[in-house]
Amino acid sequence: MSEVGGEQPDTVRRVADRPVWLGRIAIAVASAYILAYPLLSDDAYYQNMYVLSLVFAIAASGLNIITGLAGYVSLGQGAFVGLGGYTVGVLATRFDSISPWWWVPVAAVVTGVVALVLGFVSLRTRGPSFVIITVAFLFLVQVIAINWTSLTNGTAGLSLPPPTWSVDIINWPFYYILCAILALQQLLMWWIQRTKLGMGLVAIREDETKAATIGINLPVEKILAFTASTVFVGAAGAVYGYYLTFIDPRGMFSILLSVQIVLSLLVGGKGTLWGPVIGAFLIEWLNEVANNNLGGGNTRLLIFGGLLVGLVLFLPNGILPQLERFLVRRRTKGKAGLVGARVEPGGDFPVAHDRPAGPPTPADTPLLEVRGVERRFGGICALDGASLTVPDGSITGLIGPNGSGKTTLFNVVDDTLRAQAGEIWLAGERIDRLPSWQRAHRGLGRTFQITRLFREMTVLQNVVAPQRSFSWSQLARIAVSGPEARRAEELLDFVGMGDFRNQRAADLSYGQQKLLELAQVLMLEPRLILLDEPAGGINPVLIERMADMIRELNSHGTSFLIVEHNMPFVLGLCDPVHVLARGRCISSGTAKEVQADSSVVDAYLGEDFSLESESSRGA
Amino acid sequence: MEQLVQNLLLGLLLGGVYALVASGLTLIFGVMRVINIAHGAFLILAGFVSYTAWTWLGIDPLLGILLTTPLIFAFGWLVYRLVVAPIRTAPMASTVLLTFGLALVLEAVMGFVWGNNSTSIRPSYVDESFTIGELFLPKSQVYGGLLAIVVLGGLYVLLTRTWIGRAIRAAASNPTGAELVGIRISAVAALVFAIGIATAGAGGAIAAVLYPFVPGSHYLWIARVLAIVVLGGMGSMGGAVLGAVMFGVAETMTSAYVSPAWATAVPYAIMFAVLLARPQGLLGSRLREDVVAT
Amino acid sequence: MAPLPHPGGRVRASVTLIAAVAALSLAASACGIGGGGDEAGEQDAGPITIGASLPLTGEFSQPGQAAKEGYEVWQEMVNAEGGLLGRQVELIIKDDASNQNTIVADYNALISQDNVDLLLGTFSSLLNLPASAVAERNQMLYVEPAGGSPEMFNRGFEYLFFTQQAPVDRQGQVFAEWLISLPEDQRPKTAAYPTLDDPFAIPTSEGIEEILVDAGIETVYRETYAIDTKNFDTIVNRLKAEQPDLVVNGAIFEDGIGLIRAMRKAGFAPGWLYQSTAPSLGDQYAEGIGPENTEGVMFAISHAPEAETPGNEEFVAKYDEMLGGLPPEDAADAFASGQVLQAAVEGVGSIEDQAALADWLRENEVETILGPLSWDETGATEGDFLVGQWQDGQVEYVLPEEAATTDHIVMGWKPGDAN
Repeated sequence: MSEVGGEQPDTVRRVADRPVWLGRIAIAVASAYILAYPLLSDDAYYQNMYVLSLVFAIAASGLNIITGLAGYVSLGQGAFVGLGGYTVGVLATRFDSISPWWWVPVAAVVTGVVALVLGFVSLRTRGPSFVIITVAFLFLVQVIAINWTSLTNGTAGLSLPPPTWSVDIINWPFYYILCAILALQQLLMWWIQRTKLGMGLVAIREDETKAATIGINLPVEKILAFTASTVFVGAAGAVYGYYLTFIDPRGMFSILLSVQIVLSLLVGGKGTLWGPVIGAFLIEWLNEVANNNLGGGNTRLLIFGGLLVGLVLFLPNGILPQLERFLVRRRTKGKAGLVGARVEPGGDFPVAHDRPAGPPTPADTPLLEVRGVERRFGGICALDGASLTVPDGSITGLIGPNGSGKTTLFNVVDDTLRAQAGEIWLAGERIDRLPSWQRAHRGLGRTFQITRLFREMTVLQNVVAPQRSFSWSQLARIAVSGPEARRAEELLDFVGMGDFRNQRAADLSYGQQKLLELAQVLMLEPRLILLDEPAGGINPVLIERMADMIRELNSHGTSFLIVEHNMPFVLGLCDPVHVLARGRCISSGTAKEVQADSSVVDAYLGEDFSLESESSRGA
Repeated sequence: MEQLVQNLLLGLLLGGVYALVASGLTLIFGVMRVINIAHGAFLILAGFVSYTAWTWLGIDPLLGILLTTPLIFAFGWLVYRLVVAPIRTAPMASTVLLTFGLALVLEAVMGFVWGNNSTSIRPSYVDESFTIGELFLPKSQVYGGLLAIVVLGGLYVLLTRTWIGRAIRAAASNPTGAELVGIRISAVAALVFAIGIATAGAGGAIAAVLYPFVPGSHYLWIARVLAIVVLGGMGSMGGAVLGAVMFGVAETMTSAYVSPAWATAVPYAIMFAVLLARPQGLLGSRLREDVVAT
Repeated sequence: MAPLPHPGGRVRASVTLIAAVAALSLAASACGIGGGGDEAGEQDAGPITIGASLPLTGEFSQPGQAAKEGYEVWQEMVNAEGGLLGRQVELIIKDDASNQNTIVADYNALISQDNVDLLLGTFSSLLNLPASAVAERNQMLYVEPAGGSPEMFNRGFEYLFFTQQAPVDRQGQVFAEWLISLPEDQRPKTAAYPTLDDPFAIPTSEGIEEILVDAGIETVYRETYAIDTKNFDTIVNRLKAEQPDLVVNGAIFEDGIGLIRAMRKAGFAPGWLYQSTAPSLGDQYAEGIGPENTEGVMFAISHAPEAETPGNEEFVAKYDEMLGGLPPEDAADAFASGQVLQAAVEGVGSIEDQAALADWLRENEVETILGPLSWDETGATEGDFLVGQWQDGQVEYVLPEEAATTDHIVMGWKPGDAN
């Protein structure tokens, strides 16, 4: 079985080698065709259509960063096209001695700054309010453009000076500058996908809470993504405005522009590099056909609306990913998958020598100290003044009956939930006011009772996603190759999952997911790892392995706090052990001491527990 | 002073109609976590239906809500079954896109059926007003406002005094628990969606008497109603009513004392400000999830 | 190609391949790279094609539909008389959905795809501004019926010609000058100018205000309201407080209806009421505000069905025959654009040289159903509008005297149930 696991990736590689080249050639040919079109044909209709398609392609590809990667849908992307248009309009009508082309980069800066500010106010937080804010932003900008007459000339709009070059090549400059902007946009997208930033964004899309616990600075990454998704769009908007030579609030900030951009992205495929570009050309073509051959305005509205409904219902991933999935299924049909393959025995823990150790914990200070933490859900008190400590270098156990607040305690310690009262100290530093990612940067790692992996990412991507610390240069670091990827592979080998590196996380078995989540947390190089039922739901061989790995890691200085119901596992591994009941720590000590504590027995069995029923359970 | 009272009264009357329409949107959100962007389009659809009933059959549009509302209710139920049900539990961004697409489809269909020209309904009382001293209360607005309050009252009774209402509230506050005690969430959701749409329908019949409309007018309504619901708190019935009244007054005051040109910015400015400063709105649960829920 | 190591990363490449090839072949087939192209020789035998794109749906659908009717009546009449230069005229009319990037695409399509011989303009300045830029760029004559905003004419365009009597800032001139010529005791003392925020409505209302202020009529209210304003109660409430003698409402349609309805509800009626555009829309207007409320409303208009201009009777008759009823103003304006284009083509005797057509128009005066039109360097016209007034549920033309259909002018607005 393990043989299959070893060979499969190579097989896939061989089978698919040819299409890689064919795909690249196809893109090259399509690009060459688009580039050569104005030279081949002076058909202004198609030149116009391609100019508009390029504008939409840039806008959709930009939107892809925030929506495709980070999962935040924006219905206000058209506003940035409009802002770019207005930048060139306002400046070109004021400084008529300067060529309007100079304002194109200025437009990029203006849009970037506006997006930064908007991102700062709207993306510090999470959730669906973003989509409403983007629509409100679009309409608000429109109202401002209408009413700030001294700047924008109100509804009468701004007329730019018509182009001065020869009419024979009238569209060329617009066309080629848009091509150049699209190339930059694609390069940016391609690069972001390969960086730690890109991994972080996909992690945010897949599971934002989990992303925070592996050190991803949510607001910074989202705001960066949002800004990046608008900069080139602003530049394209500027070219578009100059191309139209007329800019007014109703045209520039029309919601239908945003709809067309979103449609382009959805049709082509969110999160893919070329999907939005292909989508933009398809939708603009459809737009023209609807308008010229199918009856105009209402028909187009019907098609756009119907397409939006249809895509959400039937093709949520878009054309490219759907086709891809179809081809993968065909290709792998009849071949054994990896899921059934056995996990490798694993190797020694690869110590990372090139990393500076954290500040030493002051002597006598426990690594983790929880003091009087409270957390209520409505009337239910899940944590009622819980206190406990984890000595540095220990493997500490945390046990307690179901509902005693163990997982809530974990959630409070890593800020998946915020404590309502009490203090949390990590290595002598108070951390209860810090967000999850900062706790992770200080050496706190955590796995979940029911594994939370980024299901659409590969195993390797799951492991490279964590961020040990926050720095701008780290965000820009390439994640898919180089030292980051090597380190991740070492860790995968350590947990015995090396062969699975290109599998989708969603396809793994539960036990494999547990191992993967451990490797993921190890990428943080944590000083303390909170393990939530590491032995739950996995086979005995794997449980044994899990225990070995914990010991191995512990011997290299990593401390553990483990919640577990498997008593032999806890007793064989942990010292000290804390017992939690009704939201409080009722007993602490060595495994033996705790076992002997009568209050612990009461807590587990209930005070009116009779021995008979215990024996009837066969406990 | 008189001007101020007059403007306040006008704002309050407007608030009644807004409250009716917003209550439907907030009800749908409260139970299903779906922001129905097509709400405004259903409203305009009801306007066109009353127009047809008025011109063909001579039915007074305000009395006609007895006819239009059930029709729109049935249509809402159908739309739910066909389109919304399959993705009821999908992420909110998907349902926003879906209902937005639905709004565009409805706009196009209304354009095909009734044309894109401005339509107005003029029953006999449309230009008349009650006068109290120097103050005037337009009859259509008074009737519309009263009717809105009656329908809202009916909705309140339905939600608080009937078994169906209890099932709906149970489904809103704890879907899993409701399912456990034998409430079929999918059936409740269909019912709630249809009721929500029906309030838009009743509101549309009233609005059609107050203002001329075209298929594209739905944007204005969804913007206003969404702003109201965000202001009141998503999912909160009382919040929607309070938000609607405040919004009606704010809009009227901006138009009177700032400039009518800025009055259209009010809904967007409110949405912006509320979502940033107090995402849970006046009385509601959070729409914005903070990193740490408090 | 595959940027992420991904289970299907390599497959993605082949997917992209398929999609790219599909897009490519689509584009290639659509633009006829495989064969065809334009066969220039074919043109002479067939009809002369004339292209226009109009807002048949969306915000400007009302006038857009009317303009389409006007063009079609013109086509019908030209063809009945043997066509243009002996060739039949074929109109190609697209719908731009009141949308600017669509109209740019449409005119590009007309020029390059449909290879039309001549162009006609669209409705509203907002759409004519970008559309005329496309025509100018392609050096095609652009005769347009309804883009009279001053912005149209300050761009130095050479192929642009407007076919109403004057740009919109001078639309209310005749009315304003008549008003200030009234005896002191009949003249309004104060005026209010609620105006739609629109490049057409604002210049109209400002043009009137300028004349009236010079004559000492005090402005007590000037505000613009947005196109999506539905609720006019507060505006009217302010107006009611100011009690102006005259209300000049720069309106398009729906907003004009809304304002009057709000005035009726508030029980406020100024002595005089002037509105742009809306009152010229005939029955739709009367239906919107109620026929009893139309009495005495004044407005500027470019065309009167009763006018004795050359060809007008035939136009009105033909319109009635084809579409029924009286032609709306926008249909007449569109018809006049057709007449102007026809005059230029027949004057030059060929359609090959668009620059020659433009030169011809700059040098000549053209008789249209709107009266004689001539153009300055910018393509703007220099004539006078008619002033219309609703009397007894009908539109009458009261000014200028030579074009008037009645010598009776109702002195002021008289809304109510009198009739």
